[in-house]
Amino acid sequence: MSITAETAKEHAKDPAVLCCRAEEGIVIEAANLEDPAIFDDLVDSGLLNLDGALTIEQVLGAKLTKTCDSLSPLTADVVEGFKAATEEVVEEVAETEEVTEVVAAPVVAGTTAGGVLKIHIGEGKDIDLEIPVGGLGGAVAAAPGGAVALPVAGTTEAPVAAQEEKVVRTLTRKHFNITEVKRGPETKLEGTVLYIREGIEEEVIATSDLVKDFAIEIITPDIYHTYSETVMDVQPIATKEGESELGSGVTRMLDNVVMMLTGTDEGGVQIGEFGSSEGYLDENIMWNRPGCPDKGDIFIKGNIVVQEHTNMERRGPMAAHTAFDHVTQEIREVLKKADESLVVEIEEIEQIRRPGKKKVVIVKEIMGQGAMHDNYILPVEPVGVLGSKANVDLGNVPVCVSPLEVLDGAIHAITCIGPASKEMSRHYFREPLVLEALKDPEVDLCGVIFVGSPQINAEKFYVSRRVGHTVEMLDAEGAFVTTEGFGNNHIDFASHIEQIGMRGIPVVGMSFCAVQGALVVGNKHMKYMVDNNKSESGIENEILACNTLCHEDAIRALAMLKTAMAGEEVKAAEKKWNPNVKTTNVELTDEATGTKMELVDNEQALPMSQKRKEKYD
Amino acid sequence: MTDSKLNYGEKLLYMEGIVVEIDDCSIAVDLKGRLGYFKAPKRMFISDTEPKVGQVFGWNMSFPEQLSDEVNEKYITNIKKHGCKKD
Repeated sequence: MSITAETAKEHAKDPAVLCCRAEEGIVIEAANLEDPAIFDDLVDSGLLNLDGALTIEQVLGAKLTKTCDSLSPLTADVVEGFKAATEEVVEEVAETEEVTEVVAAPVVAGTTAGGVLKIHIGEGKDIDLEIPVGGLGGAVAAAPGGAVALPVAGTTEAPVAAQEEKVVRTLTRKHFNITEVKRGPETKLEGTVLYIREGIEEEVIATSDLVKDFAIEIITPDIYHTYSETVMDVQPIATKEGESELGSGVTRMLDNVVMMLTGTDEGGVQIGEFGSSEGYLDENIMWNRPGCPDKGDIFIKGNIVVQEHTNMERRGPMAAHTAFDHVTQEIREVLKKADESLVVEIEEIEQIRRPGKKKVVIVKEIMGQGAMHDNYILPVEPVGVLGSKANVDLGNVPVCVSPLEVLDGAIHAITCIGPASKEMSRHYFREPLVLEALKDPEVDLCGVIFVGSPQINAEKFYVSRRVGHTVEMLDAEGAFVTTEGFGNNHIDFASHIEQIGMRGIPVVGMSFCAVQGALVVGNKHMKYMVDNNKSESGIENEILACNTLCHEDAIRALAMLKTAMAGEEVKAAEKKWNPNVKTTNVELTDEATGTKMELVDNEQALPMSQKRKEKYD
Repeated sequence: MTDSKLNYGEKLLYMEGIVVEIDDCSIAVDLKGRLGYFKAPKRMFISDTEPKVGQVFGWNMSFPEQLSDEVNEKYITNIKKHGCKKD
């Protein structure tokens, strides 16, 4: 299919190939040329050989000297009057390499004109910075960026550096250490021993007609090799102290212990959509992922049996989560009253705004297609149920929350998408991207937007347009869009990126993609992508949280967004998934920041289950 | 890579099926031509409007190929444990 002049401009450096038969003597224009986007497939299948082909910018306006068939590459022997190849001044390099390159760029000149300070930075590429003089306070001589990773941003910021960081609010986490969990006549905290009341099971069953059975099992590290039904959720045990509200004030939390919800329906069918992760716990959990238990944690594992067939209806999983929260709430009540002397650590998380720095926003797409694709948003207690609203009931529209609300358990995850890419409740409580962006001195994280992923396309575009307008209103200069799982949610994931990108705001997209989660759609704004895959083969390997967003992904995404916001080029990804791209980017980031990024393990570090051995590796 | 395990993975066939069952999280489809039935998560179906029983969906698929002749005892245990996974 022929291309437009606009496409020709975008692909100026790509090979020129005729889209249809062209007669000798014609003057070549965009309409004669084929879209370079399809070349990879043609070259792969041997239908096209691009050796010696001239580029599109070379042939436009030149004369064809020989009649050629469609899909003929235009080479020097059939074209007359083509332009000489222009040397590429900027060689395409991967994300952070350019950053280091610019470190040496000197500020060439600074002049004031018409109320605007224009700074020109040379060295191979032109970077024009415009800063309203009013914001300079007379300090016209912009200092070159210091030894920071992004000197371009640093340069623009230098004049406004006087604007101080502002701590908007603080969240204090009081940690209580737990070394043992036992059953006893009442729920209580004695030193580092947590007792859970015997007989609480009856009350859990009584919370709903749909809950038919419930059993608690205490899993200690020595019995990790225990069979379990599919894991529906991993939750922290935390509660608000006194009058504190979610996202501020004081949160009390238990260390070394997590709540783990598992379940089936009466017929023995897993409440876990499809592809569940039932089996031995130690073979199916990717330890220390943000959403997972850490190795050494004690699990308070509650197994719920819901009424037959309701596992596939919204009310089934909702009843299971609500019922299980009855146990957690009883522990929370005890924790509220626990003696202050038991606090082993006090952690302060500050929500810092950095006026003058690049303003960024995090958009987190959460599932909203139905029963197992839902989340409770903003409960009263961290990862509680009471007071929350399900995003499906909210119509999946964007909900803006503060970064501290996210880290204080604003999301109670009911999703049970493929285990490897599911973001569990504990994931949000330790969300790596939010944590990294909050502490990064070069960006100003203004907030987090949660948006659901509805089932039908019309609704997907409805919500993504809202996302676009919300980000526009925020005057954000950069955005992250993340999603969990894969499937039709990638349609709105792409649409969110488009809606933000079309407003001229650089967007970094983060998702599990690799082999199985390859994106179903794309658009021209999806230039900056970070793959959350960790699995060796690039697939949904049924290992809990294996392919979820980790700190290493957050650091790469931040580096990429900063590069994009500075107007640098990020090299396009290869056509097929290639894990080396990540490795190279990690090395480049390390080089630029002078640090060593610790990469997390993948399923290869777990005891090899027979299932995985035969099925995947 | 998963692809390399297949001998006929490149052979894509256009298929159609009728939606016979929908619940809150899945859609079940009868393949036209008496070629069977499958049920998959809603998020794996792309639809412009609300999916409804009686609608026709189309997709490309290939042939499932046996990857090895070994039987995985763990799967047998799981299947026995949950006996009636009739759906």
